[in-house]
Amino acid sequence: MNDLHNILAQDDELSAEELLKYLEGSLSDEARHKTERKLVDSSFADEALQGLQSFKNKKDIHLYVKELNKQLQKQTAAKKKKQQQKKIKGMDWLAITIVLILLLCFLGYWVIRLQHK
Amino acid sequence: MNTTKYDHISDQELLEKFYSDGNNEWLGILLQRYTLLLLGTCMNYLKNEEAAKDAVQQIFLKAVTELQKYKVDYFKSWLYMVAKNHCLMQLRDKNTFIPVEHTNGLIQEEADMIEIKDKEKALSLIEASIQELNNEQKTCVTLFYLQKKSYAEIAELTGNTLLQIKSHIQNGKRNLKILVEKKMNTI
Repeated sequence: MNDLHNILAQDDELSAEELLKYLEGSLSDEARHKTERKLVDSSFADEALQGLQSFKNKKDIHLYVKELNKQLQKQTAAKKKKQQQKKIKGMDWLAITIVLILLLCFLGYWVIRLQHK
Repeated sequence: MNTTKYDHISDQELLEKFYSDGNNEWLGILLQRYTLLLLGTCMNYLKNEEAAKDAVQQIFLKAVTELQKYKVDYFKSWLYMVAKNHCLMQLRDKNTFIPVEHTNGLIQEEADMIEIKDKEKALSLIEASIQELNNEQKTCVTLFYLQKKSYAEIAELTGNTLLQIKSHIQNGKRNLKILVEKKMNTI
């Protein structure tokens, strides 16, 4: 009865690790069935599996993923540096403005003091 | 950056962190979760390993740019749509024939998200609704969900191909949901 209930339930997300193991055929019968249930619910994972199955050498998949992740990290880290540089530049201008205002205040005070003398 | 320490953080939380401080590294962590899915999906469309790799890089770039412009609520579905559109555009540019199965799917994913709220009522209707499915769908749904057979085992038992099995299970589940919802609305 519970199995009947589970037909319409939405299964959990399929992890990349699970998908790779399924692809390698290294899952137990139970785990394989669980993975296939998740595949039924996710067109994204199902299409990805079909694509991954067509790689000539399955070991290349790991290399490609590693390479792509490395490039992605560089890309997102570089943008962060640029943002930080922009922030620093903005802060430079803020410091200059504060110093100028203080200098003007001091000059004003000095001029007024001289006139009073 | 070591991404495993962020495994406990959901996609939505990572997105919110990015929206609050604008740090692209959050997007990097989030997108890395989908590298394998994107590579497979692009390969499924483009049928070329190098082209698939290049496409994933372009999709990353596009995702980072687009996410800075507007807020996304369902990241996974959104990314899938971005990837699909990117691949379909590439195929169109090359005047490649696009198979029909590649032109749908998103709608299907959305439909699967519909929750049946009153599960107790639904339960009694599922059994009756299974009988209303066509023979192939009924057999595949029963073998897959109730007898817990794998795709390969069902293929062996029925003589259908794996693709046919998948299609019968997916369509069977979708039709079952429609039938149950219809019945619930009439009660």
